[in-house]
Amino acid sequence: MSKQDSKSIADEANRMWASASFVGVLIVIGLPLWWKTTEVYRVALPYDEINAFNTESHHITTDITVLANDELTAATIAELLKKEFEQYDVIKLNIKQQILSEDLQQTLDAVAEEQEALEEVAATFDTSLHNAFYVVQRKQLFQDVWVGTERVAFFRDTKAAPTLIEALKSWIYEPSVLHGARSETADAARQVRFPSGEGFHVVLSVVHPKPQAMKVDFDAAEAVEDYIGSFVDELTDLHNFTLKSQWLHLLEFNFQTNEVPEASLWGRHFPARYERLPLLLTRLEERAATHVSDRPALNLALYVAPCDVAPLAMYDADNNRVMSAVQAFMSPKWGGVVLGNPTKEECEQKLYTPDVKLIMGTFISQLRKLLGITDKELIHLAHLEPLRSVVPRRWELDSLLRIRTLEQVTSAERSLKSLAKLLGEISNIVINDEVGASINQAVASIHSARRLMTEGELLAAHHHAQQAFLAADSAFMEPSLLALLYFPDDQKYAIYIPLFLPVMFPVILSLKNLLLWLRGKPLHKEKTD
Amino acid sequence: MLNLRLLLFSVAFLSPILQIKGDDFKEEMFIKPLPPSHLYVYFQFLTLANGEESFEHSHLAPRSLGEIVSRYQVEELHLTLTEGQWKHNTWGYPVLDAAPGAELYAWFAPDVVDVDTQWKKLSSTLSGLFCASLNFIENMNTVSPKMALWPTGAYSKSHQNITSQLRYASLPREIVCTENLTPWKKLLPCESSHGFSSLLNSRMIHNTNYHSIGVHIRRMCSGSNCLDTSLEIKQTVALVYDFKILNTMDWSLRKLFGQGLPGACPLSSSSRIYVDITSNSSYPFKLLPEPNSIMFSHRGGSKTELAVYEINHSNMMNIGAKYEMRNKIFVNIPPPLTFNRYVLGYGKEFGGIVTELSNNYWAPIDVVLLENAPWWLPIQLSTLRINGEAESKLIMSQYYSPGRSRQKPYHLELLLKLPPKSTTTVTIDFEFVFLKWQEYPPDANHGFYVGSALLSANLPTAKNYTSLPITGSTFDSIVNASKPWYPIVFRTNGGMVSLPTPDFSMPYNVICLACTVVALAFGPLNNICTKEVVLKIIVVPVSLRQKIFNIFKKKKD
Repeated sequence: MSKQDSKSIADEANRMWASASFVGVLIVIGLPLWWKTTEVYRVALPYDEINAFNTESHHITTDITVLANDELTAATIAELLKKEFEQYDVIKLNIKQQILSEDLQQTLDAVAEEQEALEEVAATFDTSLHNAFYVVQRKQLFQDVWVGTERVAFFRDTKAAPTLIEALKSWIYEPSVLHGARSETADAARQVRFPSGEGFHVVLSVVHPKPQAMKVDFDAAEAVEDYIGSFVDELTDLHNFTLKSQWLHLLEFNFQTNEVPEASLWGRHFPARYERLPLLLTRLEERAATHVSDRPALNLALYVAPCDVAPLAMYDADNNRVMSAVQAFMSPKWGGVVLGNPTKEECEQKLYTPDVKLIMGTFISQLRKLLGITDKELIHLAHLEPLRSVVPRRWELDSLLRIRTLEQVTSAERSLKSLAKLLGEISNIVINDEVGASINQAVASIHSARRLMTEGELLAAHHHAQQAFLAADSAFMEPSLLALLYFPDDQKYAIYIPLFLPVMFPVILSLKNLLLWLRGKPLHKEKTD
Repeated sequence: MLNLRLLLFSVAFLSPILQIKGDDFKEEMFIKPLPPSHLYVYFQFLTLANGEESFEHSHLAPRSLGEIVSRYQVEELHLTLTEGQWKHNTWGYPVLDAAPGAELYAWFAPDVVDVDTQWKKLSSTLSGLFCASLNFIENMNTVSPKMALWPTGAYSKSHQNITSQLRYASLPREIVCTENLTPWKKLLPCESSHGFSSLLNSRMIHNTNYHSIGVHIRRMCSGSNCLDTSLEIKQTVALVYDFKILNTMDWSLRKLFGQGLPGACPLSSSSRIYVDITSNSSYPFKLLPEPNSIMFSHRGGSKTELAVYEINHSNMMNIGAKYEMRNKIFVNIPPPLTFNRYVLGYGKEFGGIVTELSNNYWAPIDVVLLENAPWWLPIQLSTLRINGEAESKLIMSQYYSPGRSRQKPYHLELLLKLPPKSTTTVTIDFEFVFLKWQEYPPDANHGFYVGSALLSANLPTAKNYTSLPITGSTFDSIVNASKPWYPIVFRTNGGMVSLPTPDFSMPYNVICLACTVVALAFGPLNNICTKEVVLKIIVVPVSLRQKIFNIFKKKKD
């Protein structure tokens, strides 16, 4: 009897061990293996750092030096400036004050022209530095404040302080635009300017709908190289530019317009109505072949009005005629169109010679807005020297650098944050090593850009911001993210369920017996038979 | 005398439009009846872009193509998209032959180092531009022909065929339709609104036996000393109409294209229609309206008569032909070199490709035959037979590059001297290969297309030859253009093989079956290992029937 008992105990132990090994193979080894092999590949990402980004906290430090004839004026102006700019968290002024030397004071008072005065200031102070601005007192001013193309503003005396602050606010530093570049929703300026990028193609298309009726004497290549070329050369710190031109012939577009008589040489004009203009852009886009370029293209189009609808005159949304020397309109983030109207004489001679200077000037002013240089509003008692060449003002460049730096850093941060959120929501997105590397690079560049912005190193900050922006963008747009997105989970289960379900049932049920046995309890209640 | 008149005529008709940057655009149309049953219509649109190496500023030339050419440093490019098969035996030779499906070959500039990458990028970009599946061109279907293809333009300084910079690929399965024609038309300066291109509406031209659209880019010498080159972009359309579909032998532009010709493109410096009226002697027809002039050409022993129409800028016109006699028996005289290709074999193990080349001329003809077999059709050089012989005297040179699975196609090139008045049969065997289940195309049971073989020949006679001389761009260059030989590249017909194709639902069936079997086997196994069988004494409960039986038993007792 005892022999049989001990045998049954040994048997029981064997059976329990067998049961345990089934559990071991299927649950301890099998399940983790299955988990591991069906796992979506993801590189470890710095989620903490990404989630810690605060896009609203960026600010740029910038240097401003107040140069006055006496200590009191300098201190007053500096104090007022400090007080005024304290309300903006996006820009921090690093104000220095200095007394003008006797010599310089005398020379500044002696020279008649502001331009000469500028040169005198530039001889003593380094005005070629990005992110440094000089406010200089000059008593011989006709206005309160005078701003030219260099990084210098002249003011007359302490009474000019409000005007000076107004000029600094709405021309030089533009804290509202900077704020718009940083914020989530786009402000008016951001809605117009192109999104940041490494480079742009500038394509000038000359649209000539009726080449059989008239000849156009216009050297598009030369015009682009001369005018646009010298403009964009100044912006090489921000983007690379490639200049292109093309002719689009026989592009038919019906303005659906009727002759309106007027007192002029033509004796008429044809309204180009506001609601027809977007359709013209569609026709242009069809033919402009911008899709073959590897970079975004800024479109500039000169539409030569055919003689039977010349001269075309633009009408605004309220159906009022727009009176201007050049009939032109701009489409935000796309480009600009100038309507070239031949004169009656030119139509009779069948030769149209466009006014290159006027047309290219219009294109330049459109390009300025498309690239982010804002229009400067008039300020009472302040004088802004008008542009005499296509080259942008020095301080406009600094302003643009500031806008783009903020925009790119915040955009990079937003991309990374959205990506991190997306990864949390959609479990089968793959992050391969390359994407991981560019995310890490973007995070590193964001940190260094942020540090450089606070230090006021504008050029370097912009460089890092651009790197961060490009890296974050390429990570977000990487097609490999979607590699597994279209393999649905139910397909996976369709394959595994027929195997795992029947196999797992007995194994899991045997767990109960196994646990009881391990605790040393009897498995069967002795049946009394 | 006639030639002089023609010259004066063309001077008088030179376009009044001034070319602003020296870009030049010409449009031409060539119509040749292929008696008794077909009509060949060939369009060519020539754009000559002057100077500009970098192609940043374009006038008449399409900027999109120019940008592609300059970005990938392409010296010469040929792209054709073709539906249908040109029948050389009955139709003679086309101006430019094209392989069925899509075909792309290009020479890259000598300083391009990584040609394969540039080639891949080029094909992907063109794929986007023409809405064609050229993005399927990869290393596994690309070859670098050693002898069969020669550049037609002023290629580099040394006039050498640098075959390491040449890539050739064809996609025989590609289907060509409207979505390819529309972007193709956008490259023309007149688009489809004016000129000959307005005839190309897809409803009519896809209703043909054969249609092929193409883009050919090459460099042309711009001076006599060839110090500078300019880019020639030639866009072609070849159509073969079937009189049976037209329901009549009398053709006219209106019948062929659904509308008359609305004048020339205002940007073209010359717009001409050439009608080959050589067949007029055997199959007389009358052209309406009368042509502006008639050109006679003696070229390599064959006479050609061309009726020329000079199209000016605004008149709507219709050109038509009226046949005078019907139901005449037509004797087809085959052209000097004809060929045929077919697939041999039965079963699913071995097969072979046969290419028959017939030289109908009295002199030997040298040809280069390029067989380009995909990796899944391994052809073995050891099985190569010319007229049944392994060692043939006809082979003057040969090049063979074996393929590699999923990486490289098989590539065989033979330089053959075809003896006069004979047929040469080139046979090569292949094995069938099992593909991975993901490598099968949709509808795998339809069969697998084998691309055309290239056949490059120097014909000693210009009989049936309509191609332009290599230095010429326009059709007037064929007049009296006698040469020692006439180079041409033919494409044979493609083939189709059916590879062993599995049942594609099989993997799922196997998985489900295997899982069920494993699950069924696992249950008892688990039970045996972990459960004990214990004997139990069963007390059978007395059933109702038994009770009744028992009662009866008792009563009996």
